[in-house]
Amino acid sequence: MGMNLKKAVAAGAAAALGMTLAACGGGDSDGPGGKSEATASKGGTLYYLQAFPFEAADPQRIYYGVQLANWRRVLYRGLVAFPMSEDPEVANTPVADLATDTGTASEGGKVWKFTLKDGVKWEDGSDVTCEDVQYGTSRVFANDVIIGGPNYTLSYIDVEDYPGPYKATAEQQAAFEDAVSCEGKTVTFRFNKPWADFPQAAAGMMMVDPYKEASDEGDKGKWNVLSNGPYKVEGGVWDKDKGATLVRNDQYDVKTDKPEELRLALPDVIEWQINNSDTAGELFNDRLIKNSGNDQYAITNARVSPPQFPKITGEVEKRYLNVLSPYNSYLVPNAKRITDVKVKKALAVSLNLNGYVKALGGERTAAPAETIVNPGVSGSQDNPAFAEDNNNDGDPAAAKALLAEAGVKTPYPIKLSYPKTPTADKAMAIIKEGWDAAGFKVTLDGLQDTYYDVAATPNKDSDVLWAGWGADWPSMSTVLPPLFDSRPNFSDATCGNDYGCYQSDAFEALVDESANASTVEDQVAKLQDADKVLGEEFAYMPLEITKFNWLFGSKVTGFTTTAASSAYPELGLIGVETK
Amino acid sequence: MWAYAARRCVIGVVLLLTLTLVTFMLFFAAPVNQARLACGKICNEQQIAVTEKALGYDKPFYAQWGSFVRGVVEGRKYPLDPELRAAAPEIVTDCTAPCLGYSQFNAKTVNELLTEAAPVTISLAVLAVVIWLFFGVLLGIMSAITKGSIIDRGIVGLTLIAFAFPTFFIAVFFLKYVVVKWGLLAYPAYTPIAEGGVGAWFGNLFLPSFTLALVFLASYVRITRAFVLESLSEDYIRTARAKGLKGRTVLFKHGLRAALTPLVTMTGLDFAGLLGGAIITERVFAYPGLGSLTVDASNAWDLPTIIGVVLVAGAFVILMNIIVDIAYAFIDPRVRLG
Repeated sequence: MGMNLKKAVAAGAAAALGMTLAACGGGDSDGPGGKSEATASKGGTLYYLQAFPFEAADPQRIYYGVQLANWRRVLYRGLVAFPMSEDPEVANTPVADLATDTGTASEGGKVWKFTLKDGVKWEDGSDVTCEDVQYGTSRVFANDVIIGGPNYTLSYIDVEDYPGPYKATAEQQAAFEDAVSCEGKTVTFRFNKPWADFPQAAAGMMMVDPYKEASDEGDKGKWNVLSNGPYKVEGGVWDKDKGATLVRNDQYDVKTDKPEELRLALPDVIEWQINNSDTAGELFNDRLIKNSGNDQYAITNARVSPPQFPKITGEVEKRYLNVLSPYNSYLVPNAKRITDVKVKKALAVSLNLNGYVKALGGERTAAPAETIVNPGVSGSQDNPAFAEDNNNDGDPAAAKALLAEAGVKTPYPIKLSYPKTPTADKAMAIIKEGWDAAGFKVTLDGLQDTYYDVAATPNKDSDVLWAGWGADWPSMSTVLPPLFDSRPNFSDATCGNDYGCYQSDAFEALVDESANASTVEDQVAKLQDADKVLGEEFAYMPLEITKFNWLFGSKVTGFTTTAASSAYPELGLIGVETK
Repeated sequence: MWAYAARRCVIGVVLLLTLTLVTFMLFFAAPVNQARLACGKICNEQQIAVTEKALGYDKPFYAQWGSFVRGVVEGRKYPLDPELRAAAPEIVTDCTAPCLGYSQFNAKTVNELLTEAAPVTISLAVLAVVIWLFFGVLLGIMSAITKGSIIDRGIVGLTLIAFAFPTFFIAVFFLKYVVVKWGLLAYPAYTPIAEGGVGAWFGNLFLPSFTLALVFLASYVRITRAFVLESLSEDYIRTARAKGLKGRTVLFKHGLRAALTPLVTMTGLDFAGLLGGAIITERVFAYPGLGSLTVDASNAWDLPTIIGVVLVAGAFVILMNIIVDIAYAFIDPRVRLG
């Protein structure tokens, strides 16, 4: 499959030089699927069909994985970016984008320096400057204006009581500009603790992306787009409910970029059409199955739904990809109600994951997971607690033995809480069946809109809770600490993202060691150990890795997904046959 | 009559204020932390508190309601924090009276949102009303005057079928088959007259309006039929016939006029209900009208927009009630307002 991508890149790069070559865009499909056999060339109009609105167009407020990945290719370049490679190792290693290199760390990872390239411009013709990076970084601190979006930098940048650029006093602003300083084209970030995977964070999120102060309108500018990438939004404003037309940005200089690694920018125009109807996703895929008119030049980020799978045969199958997504789901025992590790282990060993996956829609929709850490995350490996002698059918006899060993009264009552949907009801019924057979007495507790608030409360009466997670960037530091470190999660009113209200000194010590690691390798090793601790204490039970199913039009070229695109269509490689 | 209208208007304003107060109460009674949702998945308590204050949700609901009412009268400026407004005037949004609030979720004033969404819903509702009234009354009359015939039974049977299907089903059926599978019509997308002209506006509006009209049409056929049959059996109709008036004159001048009164009431109220947002039709066709706005605002716990839509929907219903009452006096001289 790697060859397919290389061919696609080669073809696209050649096309960018005015040539036309045959290309194949495979994708890291691990199931049924096809590859684009169409001819890649520069030009034409790509239709991008989307079935939900984005939350914002402001780089510091963007948090959807698909938007971060796609817009990095077309509108917002970062200091660094993830390359378009099917090899996850390569795709998870940032390369220079706006900066001349991937950053220089010093003081054990507490200080990072990046120097901006010459000649990079905003769409209005002004230079992208160090001060723009500094200003963009400062905006994240204004929680009262830039509401929402990833804010990891708040706990790292070495400044206190900084309210953001809008209402900072001169002293507060000076303190921030010491922490994030500019010297010519070089920006220096000073952190209060090591941040070994900062380049990954800067590539995956847009927290430290440049923002031009003169164009800042605060919340009013939530949908404004000032591009520094190969395209710009026609009219400069993204329509939340309709999308926009992306046209070539004449201020973009390809010489400042690495098109073969980061963005081929093949289509001349991208018609990004949003339809947030509840049925839009299914209809988009119906249209792609039919493949007529402009839909031949269309892609979508709406997944094919299980009822549509039978239609994916013959010619349609050649325009279909089935890939692992960056999202995992898992169960957490409530540590306040289930304290005996043998009871937790009994739950884990009697978990019928194969049945659960089947209820979700089968092997095209999910794959059983052996760890909470998605395989697209650097350092992901099966957790021994869940991978050992396990055929994923569940073993009620072993669970019964464990309950007997624990000396608890059976049937052991379990209240299993989850966000209610018809599919979830079916899948949870499978889990209940396995657990009931193992000596538990399960009550299913499907909750509607209030689920996440109930799940976070410390005094809930749920025994086991469902949860799902995707890494913010492909590092275990955005999976294990946010989910199981009690310190940032716990308060009187909430257990935060740690729905099981789990606390472990051993785990937190390893998190601290990983946080103080000066290299990514050290950080990964410590977090792998931390995952083992979680497994030994059965702080979670992995359920599944969600799979994505994509269709694309017959005249789309280079269609694939990568770890860098978060398993969504890799927009940097996609083109269309010119009419 | 003017005194009557003025009295009804005053009662309407009181009703609307009560509606907004109840909506505030319901919103804050929900077991959801709106600020946590807005802040995002990795916010700590301190950041959530800042967000809560920025959204104005840190105050008791009655204080927020008081600010809302004051904003309607005086206008408001956003962000709410005066210190922030003074420090960064470039980010200030001036919401002039009657200010219905500012939606952080949409980054627009509620007045702007309603101004954008209302024409979509009004277009949809007006065309739907025209379709269902024209065909509903026509088929109802045909059915009444051919009572017991195959035509009558056919019309009644077909309308029963249309009535049995929910709007959601009809809308999805049209999109899936008429648009996608058979390709008979283009995928409808709302196009304002100013952008695409009357042709594009009508062409794109037809399928959603027809969907919306179908369910109403079925009930209007049946009701028109019943009212016409009832009025045709009245003594004065027999008298009119005995006087030698033509059948058409008896039907349209005497029979239909009596049947119109209840139809006007129904149309007014149904139309008013639709103006508040044809939620299902707008959602399935992704029409950015008041119905879609309501659903999006509810999903995002966007209080200012929810209040705005409730207010507009309530105002439409109250206004249409007043219009219907006044229209009675013109249609049926026996009715006097006083």
